[in-house]
Amino acid sequence: MNDALLHLLKNPRVWRGSQPGTPDESLRESLRESLRESIQEASRGPAAYPTGYARLDGHLPGGGWPSYALTEILLEHHGMGELKLLMPALARLSNVEEPGPHVNRHASGGDQEAGWIAWIAPPFQPYPPALLQWGINLAHMLVVHSRQGIEALWAAEQALSSGNCAAVLVWSDALDNRTSRRLQLAAEKGQSWAIAFRPLEAATQASAAALRIALTAGEQGTDVRILKSRGGRPVTVSGVIHHYVQDYAE
Amino acid sequence: MPPPPDKVPAQREDGQTPPVTEPRRPLKSSDRPAKTRIAKTNPAQQSLSLAPLTELQPDDPPAGAKRTGARQLWLCNHFPSLPLEALNARNKSMPDVVFENQQGNRRVLLASTRAERLGITPGLSINAALALAPSLKLEERNAEKESRVLERLAVWAGRFTSIVSLEPPDLLLLEIRGSLRLFGDIKALRQQVESGLAEQGFKPSMAIAPTALASVWLARAGRSVSIDDTTNLAGALSSLPLRCLEWPESVRESLNGMGIYCIGDCLRLPRQGFARRFGAARLLQLDRALGRLPDPRRSYRAPERFSEECELPEEQSDSEMLLEACLQLLSNLERFLTTRQIEVRHVQFSFFHLRAPATHLTLGCRQTGRKKEQWFELLAIRFDRLVLPEPVISIRLRSGAGQALQADEGNFFQTSGQRRNTSITRLTERLSVRLGNDGGVHGVTTVAEHRPQYAWRKAETESPGPRLPPCAAMSNHWHAHHSPLLLADIRRTSSLLLRRPLWMLPEPLALIAREGNPQYQGPLKLEDGPERLETGWWDGNGIARDYYVAVNTKGIRLWIYRNRHKEATWHLHGIFG
Repeated sequence: MNDALLHLLKNPRVWRGSQPGTPDESLRESLRESLRESIQEASRGPAAYPTGYARLDGHLPGGGWPSYALTEILLEHHGMGELKLLMPALARLSNVEEPGPHVNRHASGGDQEAGWIAWIAPPFQPYPPALLQWGINLAHMLVVHSRQGIEALWAAEQALSSGNCAAVLVWSDALDNRTSRRLQLAAEKGQSWAIAFRPLEAATQASAAALRIALTAGEQGTDVRILKSRGGRPVTVSGVIHHYVQDYAE
Repeated sequence: MPPPPDKVPAQREDGQTPPVTEPRRPLKSSDRPAKTRIAKTNPAQQSLSLAPLTELQPDDPPAGAKRTGARQLWLCNHFPSLPLEALNARNKSMPDVVFENQQGNRRVLLASTRAERLGITPGLSINAALALAPSLKLEERNAEKESRVLERLAVWAGRFTSIVSLEPPDLLLLEIRGSLRLFGDIKALRQQVESGLAEQGFKPSMAIAPTALASVWLARAGRSVSIDDTTNLAGALSSLPLRCLEWPESVRESLNGMGIYCIGDCLRLPRQGFARRFGAARLLQLDRALGRLPDPRRSYRAPERFSEECELPEEQSDSEMLLEACLQLLSNLERFLTTRQIEVRHVQFSFFHLRAPATHLTLGCRQTGRKKEQWFELLAIRFDRLVLPEPVISIRLRSGAGQALQADEGNFFQTSGQRRNTSITRLTERLSVRLGNDGGVHGVTTVAEHRPQYAWRKAETESPGPRLPPCAAMSNHWHAHHSPLLLADIRRTSSLLLRRPLWMLPEPLALIAREGNPQYQGPLKLEDGPERLETGWWDGNGIARDYYVAVNTKGIRLWIYRNRHKEATWHLHGIFG
């Protein structure tokens, strides 16, 4: 373009349909910048899945479970309320009709986020009637029985990177720093949420998980201790999961 | 459909044309008097050529002559250098000379163009050939390989017509009348067959004629003609030399002695005398070639199951190389399945070793598959863990029973749900192949049943997911709530609903009771209950239980029950998780 034309275009009386109607270059630049940021934000996928427990959400960066990442749940015994803690988020993920409010459908490719929930090497049988009560779409349940070692981690990695699974729950005693990194990468690749259950002693080991929490029995129910969270700080949230009777008998 | 085999009765020596029942066509009543008339005419006066015959029967030509001529059109592929080409197609390195071992006397059977240029001709002894060209690559003729190659070509030719007839050792016949409209015309079809064969490294001599025998003779004589009509047939055949009939040497010599060198000369001989001298079978042959008699052929039927062996050039233990050979076999399998429009669920690889017994590897697939990538992926997963006792010398791939190809129901508006369901099958396949336990990877569904242990069952993962009805125990309270719930909704519903634990023990665990109180890692405190379930008496697995929610000293909530049958025993059945 020659100078005369540029001069003409800068004239405020000239209206151009395809451009933001301001001739101010700096403003336009800032608009572009913010647009670029929001696109980047969107392409990173959902920030977090709300846990369904408001008090816990308040302490988690992004206000929920980290998406497309590895979450570690450390517990002393099975049955501490670890499933109850996950149920609201899993119910939302397993249902196609109801993507979470944070979920950006466009960025993650249509309905991919509302996919399958894979249970790999569960210590007991997940009980479908109870899952149904929690609102899990049973048509999206995948149970994989394998040995609780490297095999379970392999299966978890496959499930995570397949792109079909919205969440992968894995029980394995072979998880360490290196394998947790692999799961983390697989979760990013397959846009999935990895949840690994580990014994409480693993708290001292290093891990690549985006979020590590420990469940301990407290006075008003199960306490959630946040050991590590990306962009958050360690804190103990007491009584997240209430006692059975308090929870439901109103 | 293959036409039934030739039903020609035993040859009679009187030179008469035996009545031939032609399959699939009812004999017209008008044929009968005509036939009896043929029998009455004095055969001695009858000449073999077509012209006098029509003079004798101007109104009614012999049964089937015109009709078969009009109905059929045969394309014959004659592979004169099949012994060489068969070896060439298998191994990439092409031998120059194929030799035949006749009682320890090794003679050149066929020579490649390169060898021929060096002066090596068929019939030369091997030593002489080696003297001419010491660097010659020699290979012995492998008749088995040739017939396998011919069968492979027959399967391949199935793309042009449904009637493919094999005539070992070196003939492949295609009935193309029915395919002309599809492929355009004779010329186009011929060109396609020719180029297809050339791609696979074969150079046949090809001829098209209304009768199978005529096409064979023309092809053997190397006349690459296309004759569409029976009327031109006699003329085209008459100039052919006798050698393309492949009659025994003695017959040919005696014919030559009579001054007969080509088919045309033969046809001019009197019928009866010819039959008496050279056998009625040869007369029949001539009649069939000219279309005066029907010539039904057996159609080639490809094997139902795929089985192919790949010999490795040397002992191999490198998994990369082995997988590459397997991939080659799999792509042949894919071609086989596509041609036959079938799918298989199982394939078996066998790895043969020099000394140790063969190692077998069976791959199963939930979804019937025919794509080689799909099988290869499964193979690669299993191959890591496969222990081969020795290097491999050859690999065989066999398929299981095939089933008809199920066309995917195309959805005009491709919904994402379907796409996801197809790919989850791939994941479950991969998992079950590696984990090696069938049924270890499954979906779940509820069953309308009050007994907790029967209220669910395993389900196929690929089943489309209609929303399943909740179990009957809950249905009274629940029917409005099987849509996704938020925690707030759950809290609002009655407490009765949520007395089902998320973890279930595979078998109830008997608990010790102290002073009537159940113990599990310490004394249990009952929090809620009882919920009485007494049902199932009709099928012998009845239960009469009082279920309680209990908490142990560690704060874990358990689902336990007390039997109401005989002695009140306590059992742990679930964990609330």
